Amino acid sequence: MDLSALRALVRPHGPVLDVHVHPLSCFGPYRIGSIREDAHRLIETGKRSGVTKMCVFSLYPSCPYEPTPAQCREANDYVLAMRDEAPETFLPFCYVTPVFPDEATTEIERCVGGEKMAGIKLWVARRATDPGLDPIMEKAVALDVPVLQHAWLKTTGNLPGESTPEDVADLARRHPAARIIMAHLNGAGYRGIEALVDTPNVVVDTSGGDPESGMVEVAVARLGPHRVVYDSDAPIRHFGTTLGKTLGAVLPDTVKRDILWGNAVRILHLAGDA
Amino acid sequence: MITDVCAWTGTWNTLDAPGDVDSVRAGLRVYGVERIFLSPLAAAWRPNPHIDNQRVYEAAGRYPNIRAVPVLDPTLSGWERELDRAVRHAATPMVRILPAYGGYTPDDLDVFCAAIGKTRLALAVQVRMEDPRRQHPLAQVPDVRVEKIADLAQRHPDLTTVIAGASTAALRNLRDKLCTLPNLYADVSQADGLDALVTLVDAEITHKLLFGSHTPLFVTASAVARVVNDLNDKDATVILSENAARIFRV
Repeated sequence: MDLSALRALVRPHGPVLDVHVHPLSCFGPYRIGSIREDAHRLIETGKRSGVTKMCVFSLYPSCPYEPTPAQCREANDYVLAMRDEAPETFLPFCYVTPVFPDEATTEIERCVGGEKMAGIKLWVARRATDPGLDPIMEKAVALDVPVLQHAWLKTTGNLPGESTPEDVADLARRHPAARIIMAHLNGAGYRGIEALVDTPNVVVDTSGGDPESGMVEVAVARLGPHRVVYDSDAPIRHFGTTLGKTLGAVLPDTVKRDILWGNAVRILHLAGDA
Repeated sequence: MITDVCAWTGTWNTLDAPGDVDSVRAGLRVYGVERIFLSPLAAAWRPNPHIDNQRVYEAAGRYPNIRAVPVLDPTLSGWERELDRAVRHAATPMVRILPAYGGYTPDDLDVFCAAIGKTRLALAVQVRMEDPRRQHPLAQVPDVRVEKIADLAQRHPDLTTVIAGASTAALRNLRDKLCTLPNLYADVSQADGLDALVTLVDAEITHKLLFGSHTPLFVTASAVARVVNDLNDKDATVILSENAARIFRV
């Protein structure tokens, strides 16, 4: 098999929407001189693996676990500027912290209501069981955007404010009208998948951890083919390595296309936008 | 011809991965992997990992494209016999050790390494099998420090030493040792991250990198993608096949 045939095997056959990408300024060894450079390097590396569109959110360059409202605002301005560089590629999400619920809802109003960001990102400041998330979720429902909530189930112990999949299920039950993307399928594992079976307003994204065999297949079997979406968590992970979890899965092509594109388009209300 | 220097057979405690020899072989063949260095997964958890080596010798006997890579435990009585067995199998290119699972460190291995250095075999030292955050809570195994493996290679210049399962950052940090120690190599079976292979090629260690997939624990397509999506034909070919052909004379 020559290299072009091999490359064709590991490339998707249709468009790909990656729901979880960070600017290079947030993670890793990348020396980025400008927002423009950040945007175009992500676009270039994504294209090499077949990624068409990206939901992008910054956690602020130093990634503080409990960011201030000012840091969130700066992070959000960064990804808005990335969208200005390539509006056909980037769908920015608004990063807020439930430690400051009032400021968070004001920032969501600015970014989603005003700037038309595509969703809201929550990380590790507070667990999803915290009541500080409630006004954020209510605002997400009012503005009709999904919330992407980080979650992991770490053998080595979660951070104090880091959600487990059970926490995300609790959030989903408290806010049944909200559309929730739970990040990190491979961080949640078999136990985490099970926590989401009875919460139909949650989809799981395929990132988090290594490209372990069979995890996407189990997620589809337990949650259904419409509750799994592709994401890379780039630059922490490689676009192609994470795509391989879906492309290499033992699943029908129609299901793979839904994971890589259709499900995210539906959740983001981008129907018809290819 | 693509050579995968890090493939396994058997079952694993935390994953439902199809690890029988025929499934592993067929799965790798889909992606053009035609030469498979195969080790037994069960060896990680056995008090006597040598018992499981029979499986990979049998697989190598059945399929010419499989090369048995037995797991040795240098703290186990009789490792000399197991090493001799590996030497007598003409198609066996190297032996593998899992120090973290055996409860020893690369610091303790000078007699063992000196013995392998007198043979034609290489030594693969496994840094990790799975992310410690994803391990079973009652079976937590830390990573092996890659610096210790480099030190081992430095003390045993006649021994071809392969770092197996190290992260991109660990390999980048080890760049100077990989450049200066002619007997030290690394597989890319767990080198993840955006532009992972590009950064290693830019670090001018292309000639020290070997393709590994960590199949069946990891998805083969993922391992292939990070090499072929980002690298030009020349660099990809060096990592996928040429380095292994040169180092192992296969």
